[in-house]
Amino acid sequence: MRDMVPSVARDPLTELRRGVLEYCVLATVRRWEAYAFDIVLVLSRAGGLLTSEGTIYPLLSRLRRDGLVATIWRESESGPPRRYYRITEEGQRALDGFIAEWDRFRAAVDAVLMGRVEEGS
Amino acid sequence: MDADALVRDYLTRLDRAATALPAGRRDELTAEVREHIETALTKAGDRGEVTVRNVLERLGAPDEIVAAESGPAGSAAPAGPALSAPSGWTSGSAPPPGWAPAPSASRWGPVEIIALLLLSVGWLILPFIGSLLALVFVWASDRWSTREKVIATVVVLMLVALPLALFMGTSSGVSLTGPQSIPEPIHP
Repeated sequence: MRDMVPSVARDPLTELRRGVLEYCVLATVRRWEAYAFDIVLVLSRAGGLLTSEGTIYPLLSRLRRDGLVATIWRESESGPPRRYYRITEEGQRALDGFIAEWDRFRAAVDAVLMGRVEEGS
Repeated sequence: MDADALVRDYLTRLDRAATALPAGRRDELTAEVREHIETALTKAGDRGEVTVRNVLERLGAPDEIVAAESGPAGSAAPAGPALSAPSGWTSGSAPPPGWAPAPSASRWGPVEIIALLLLSVGWLILPFIGSLLALVFVWASDRWSTREKVIATVVVLMLVALPLALFMGTSSGVSLTGPQSIPEPIHP
């Protein structure tokens, strides 16, 4: 909706990607704490999840505000202290809920795309 | 343009794009992105123009980053305070989603307290005048919104007008004709 840029509008996955991204971030900080740059690396390595790396910062800020992640500052070997992120119980619940929904969603889309759904009588 | 100038230019554009954000968040976002660039260049082990251009391109356009502040349509899970964070971890301390220009200062300063005292007990000390004086303080407040001030004014004027209307033996409808119709203060 906000994207009036043609190149973005042509990508049918933009909205979908945007919707699932926050849960991918939550999953990234589920087991280990990580700082923003590491989260970006994981998401880019996974392939095309984060098209503009800078948008991770507004996203992390929102997750923080919503209480889904907690943060702590830690010294780094090189450079200034870094802000590390980890999931909260609230975030854990949101992520578990999403994973269950996602399984159903993916199964439904796959079934239709692959023509596995039979027509009703 | 040399590499450092590219970074400076990018951060300036980001800062300019972020003017609509609350001041605290605007500074924070710029600092986060600046640190991101620093980290990326350190990891790359090179600060040449090509490397810098690549790092900036991967970051995305400043406008796009700022646009992401308002979130995807139908954002996140319902907000709630996280009770689980161990000590040292902070969460959920920032303002709620929606980025209203939230006043960072308290809503209660000396002016507001005087206004409230006058509003509540002012009429006992100085009938009518106390209440009208209260409105002076209400409007002097820089912490209350215009909407709140208007509500306070309407309520006070109605409370002042009602006994007047009753006292003068006219119908109470008089009190609804607006502030302009309020007569000069009269002894009750």
